[in-house]
Amino acid sequence: MEEENGNGKSPESPSASRGEALISMRTIWKTYQMGTEELHALRDVSFEVKRNEYLAIIGPSGSGKSTLMNLIGCLDSPSKGEYWINGNLVSEMSDDELARIRNKEIGFVFQTFNLLARATALHNVELPLIYAGMRAGPRHDQAQAALASVELGDRVTHRPNELSGGQRQRVAIARALVNNPSILLADEPTGALDSKTSVEIMHLFEKLHSDGNTIILVTHEPDIAARAHRVITIRDGLIEKDERLK
Amino acid sequence: MNFSETLKLAFSAIWAHKLRSFLTLLGMIIGVTAFMVVLSLLQGFNAYVDEKIAGIGSNSFTVRRFSFDDFKDTDTIAAAQRRNKELTFDERDFIRDHAQLIDKMGAKSGNVSREVKREGESLRDVQISGAEPIIAEIDKLDIAQGRFFSMPENDNAVRVAYVGMDVANKLFPKGDALGQAITISGIPYRIIGIQTAKGTVFGQPQDNFVTLPIKTFGAAFGGLTRQRAPYFVITAKNDKVFNDSVEEVRMLMRIKRKLAFGEKDSFGILTPDAITALRDSILGPIFIVIIAVPTIALLVGAIVIMNIMLVSVTERTKEIGIRKSLGARQADILKQFLMESATLSAMGGTIGLIIAELLGIIITKFVFQTRIPIWSALFAIAISGGVGILAGIFPAWKAARLDPIEALRAD
Repeated sequence: MEEENGNGKSPESPSASRGEALISMRTIWKTYQMGTEELHALRDVSFEVKRNEYLAIIGPSGSGKSTLMNLIGCLDSPSKGEYWINGNLVSEMSDDELARIRNKEIGFVFQTFNLLARATALHNVELPLIYAGMRAGPRHDQAQAALASVELGDRVTHRPNELSGGQRQRVAIARALVNNPSILLADEPTGALDSKTSVEIMHLFEKLHSDGNTIILVTHEPDIAARAHRVITIRDGLIEKDERLK
Repeated sequence: MNFSETLKLAFSAIWAHKLRSFLTLLGMIIGVTAFMVVLSLLQGFNAYVDEKIAGIGSNSFTVRRFSFDDFKDTDTIAAAQRRNKELTFDERDFIRDHAQLIDKMGAKSGNVSREVKREGESLRDVQISGAEPIIAEIDKLDIAQGRFFSMPENDNAVRVAYVGMDVANKLFPKGDALGQAITISGIPYRIIGIQTAKGTVFGQPQDNFVTLPIKTFGAAFGGLTRQRAPYFVITAKNDKVFNDSVEEVRMLMRIKRKLAFGEKDSFGILTPDAITALRDSILGPIFIVIIAVPTIALLVGAIVIMNIMLVSVTERTKEIGIRKSLGARQADILKQFLMESATLSAMGGTIGLIIAELLGIIITKFVFQTRIPIWSALFAIAISGGVGILAGIFPAWKAARLDPIEALRAD
C-alpha cells in the first residue's frame, strides 16, 4: 500500500491523463454541524492548479480560506466533492492514506514555523524523511542539502531558539522542500516576521518558484498576495475572484 | 518509522524532562526493587534449604528417631516418643552389612551446648557433637587446616577435636590453633582440624562448633542417648538408585526392628525431597502473599506512568500536530508514545534491578544469602517494560487519534 501508484486510483485521474492539473478541486463543499444549524465553510468550490503555478489564496478571516487550506493540505476531507492531487483522489482517503499524501505531496510552511523546539534544525528538516521511511545516511545528506539550499548549511546543529525568525522560517521551508513535494503550501508565511525579513522570505519563494516548484500561498495581506502570479479571492465560502496577474 | 528511530526519540523525550522522568520512575523503581528483593530472599532461602539442610546434590539421606509426620501434633509426638526407640550402633551395623545400594554410611550424635576453655580464654554456648570419621567424606567437609579424625582415633576414643573457625579464632586470637589444647567440661582435647568459615545464617553462627570422634563424645558426655543419641547419614551409590536405596534402608530398619506388615515405621528417614516438600508446604502460601505486595507497588508505578504520559500527550499536542502534518501516521504516533512509556518503565525496572542487586549484596553479607536468578532479572525488565506498554496504551491511543488541525492549533 505504501508504494501504491496514485494513478491506479481511478481511470478518470485528470492530471495524469491530461498532464496538466496538479491539483483539481471539483464542487467541493465543507459543512460543519453547529448544533441543529449547518454551517457551510465552503460552497461548491472548484478550481485547478497546474504544475509550477504561484498561486495566492486571499480572503478575510472567516471567509473559508483556512478551511480551504486544510483541504488542500490534506489535513481534512471535504463533505462533498472530489479533490485530486497529482493523480490521487484524496477526498476518499483514510487518515493514514492522507498522512502518506501529506508526507509525499505537500510541503507545509506555517505562520508560526511549527518547528520542534527541542530538535536541531537538521532533525526538524529530517522529519518528513523519517516518516517516509528513509535510512539515516541518505536522510542526513538530503536534509543537509535542503538546509544549504536555504542558505542555512552552517546552522544545522542549532535549535530553533538559537535562530532568528527569518532563519526559523527558512528551516521550515527547507523541511517543506526536503521531500520534493508536489506543492509548497504556505499559510501566512510572513505573518510572524518583520517587514525586512518578510521581503527576504518572499524573495526565497520567488526563487523556489523559478526553480520549478508549485507554490500556494494563503494570506490575508494583499501586498503579499500581489507577488503571486495568480490570486484566488475567497469570501463567504465562495470563490469571489480568480485572476491571473503575471 | 523503524524501531531504533522510535527508541532514540523515546530517550530524547525522557531526557528532555529529566526530573519529571525520574520522579515518574520512582514508583516503578520502588516496585521492581521490592519485587526483586523479596524474590531474591525467597530464592536464597530455597537455595539454602536445598544445599545446606536438604543436602540436594550431596546424594545423602538420614535415618533418625523421628520423622516429620511424628511432629504433626502433640498426640503423635507423644505416641512416637513411646514407640520410636533411639537408633543403635547395632542397627547401623545391620544396615551396613546388608544394604546393597548404599555407598557410605556414618553416624553422628546430637548436639550439646558447652563452654569451651583454653588457658585465659573461654567461649560459651559452643555446639559439641560427635561423628564418625567417614562423615568427613559424606558431608564433603571443607577443611581449612589439619584433618578430620581417623578410624583408630575414634575406635580408641582419643581426645581430639575438629573445630569451627570461630572457635579457633576466638580461643586463639594470635592464630596457631592447630595442635593446641582446649578444655570442655574439664577434659582436654587437642585440635587436629579447623573448618573453613561459613558465616552466619539467619544470624546463627555456623562456625561455632566442636566435633569430636563419636566414641570420645559418648564417653565424655554421658553416653550416646537422649539428645545425644546417634543418627545415620547415608549416601546412595548413585542418583538412579537413590530412591531404591532409601527403600532398602527402610526395609532393613523394619526387619531389624521386627515391625509387622502394615505397622508404622518406628523411625524416620529424611530425604532431600521430603525436606523441600515440607518447605514448600509451609512457604507456598506465604510466597503468594509476599509476591502480591510488591506487585501492588508495580501497579501503582504503572498508574503513575499512565498519568504522566497523559500529561505528556496534552503538553505535546502541538508536536503531535506538527508530526502529523509532516506525514506521521496514527501508528507512528502510537508507537512513539508506547515506546516512550515502555522505555521509561523499563528504565525504572533496570534501575530497580540494580538497586535490588546492591541490596542483595548487602543482605547477603550481613543477614542471609540472597540470589537473583538471571531469569528473574530478565523477567523484571520485561514485566516493567510490559507494564509501561499497558500504561501507555491509553495515552498513546489518545495522541494517535488527535485531529491534526486541532493539534496544530494548540499552544
